Amino acid sequence: MIIQLKKFGITLVSRPSGKEAWLAFQPVLNGISKNEEIIVDFNDVVVLTPSWADEFLTPLYKRFNNRVKLNNTANPSVTATLAILTK
Amino acid sequence: MRRLSNSSMQNKLISIGKASRLLGVSIDTLRRWDLAGRLQSIRSGPRGHRYYHQSDIEQYLQNVDTIAQHWAEAPHAIEPKLEMYCQTRDIFQTRLETLQSGLSRISPLTTVSLITAIAGEIGNNSFDHNLGNWPDIPGVFFAYSIRDRKVVLADRGQGILATLKRVRPELTSAQEALKVAFTETISGRFPEARGNGLKFVKSIIIANPFTLYFQTGNACLYLKQNDTNIVIQKAKTSINGCFVTIGFEELL
Repeated sequence: MIIQLKKFGITLVSRPSGKEAWLAFQPVLNGISKNEEIIVDFNDVVVLTPSWADEFLTPLYKRFNNRVKLNNTANPSVTATLAILTK
Repeated sequence: MRRLSNSSMQNKLISIGKASRLLGVSIDTLRRWDLAGRLQSIRSGPRGHRYYHQSDIEQYLQNVDTIAQHWAEAPHAIEPKLEMYCQTRDIFQTRLETLQSGLSRISPLTTVSLITAIAGEIGNNSFDHNLGNWPDIPGVFFAYSIRDRKVVLADRGQGILATLKRVRPELTSAQEALKVAFTETISGRFPEARGNGLKFVKSIIIANPFTLYFQTGNACLYLKQNDTNIVIQKAKTSINGCFVTIGFEELL
């Protein structure tokens, strides 16, 4: 499945909105099949911060581990956020 | 006649109450600034009430960083002017998106994305660490001048020392706390595993033609592109919360 982050907004900044996105998306995540890849698409996201990402991407990785793939990560704030989160 | 008219316009006096509302600080604060020579009043009337030249106030209001710093420092502040005040996170998000939109008209995506991201991270940090514990005025001061290439944020929260002391009781000074905040992954919201926001800010500033001034308590730091060390200095004045200016002069 593909998670298009822009559907949560293009300015993804705060922890509460990241947490809300994670909670709101649970029904979809609960429905994916075993071994299915989860592709996170950053296309059209203008601003991402570690606060938002820590509430959405970190639990996503914890739950699905290496089934999570990231696409279209060239945006500078996306790159900087992913660099910090992986440290 | 014109000269007389201009002179009269420039010398228009406003009351200390109106000046207080325009500047977002209390009347007591204005009296202190007056005594300190920081913003001098005119004494007028039989009781010698304080008045201010409107032109002085207008000039003062053009420097958003000065207004924010004074607001953060004032012992008894009042809510800032509405256009500079985000009492809640929702208001902050809306204003942040307005900044993003304003920047996108004049600068490349890199600037838009990174400046908005660091302003967003710093502003949201204020809410994260002070929610339910604001000492007096809740929320953040948030203003920017695209013409001057600067973004200003301030809060009257508990400051970094008080926040980090919950997880690092051995910290004794704002200088130590500020250094930890910019160099270690640590959060005052234990047991949540987080606390990389200011490291994120630092990573962006040192990799781009931006500048950052960050003050909390009596500690401050100044960061710019290619800086390798975090040098904490003692600030001239002390604040309880945080005061931040972000500059992006060279990228535009």
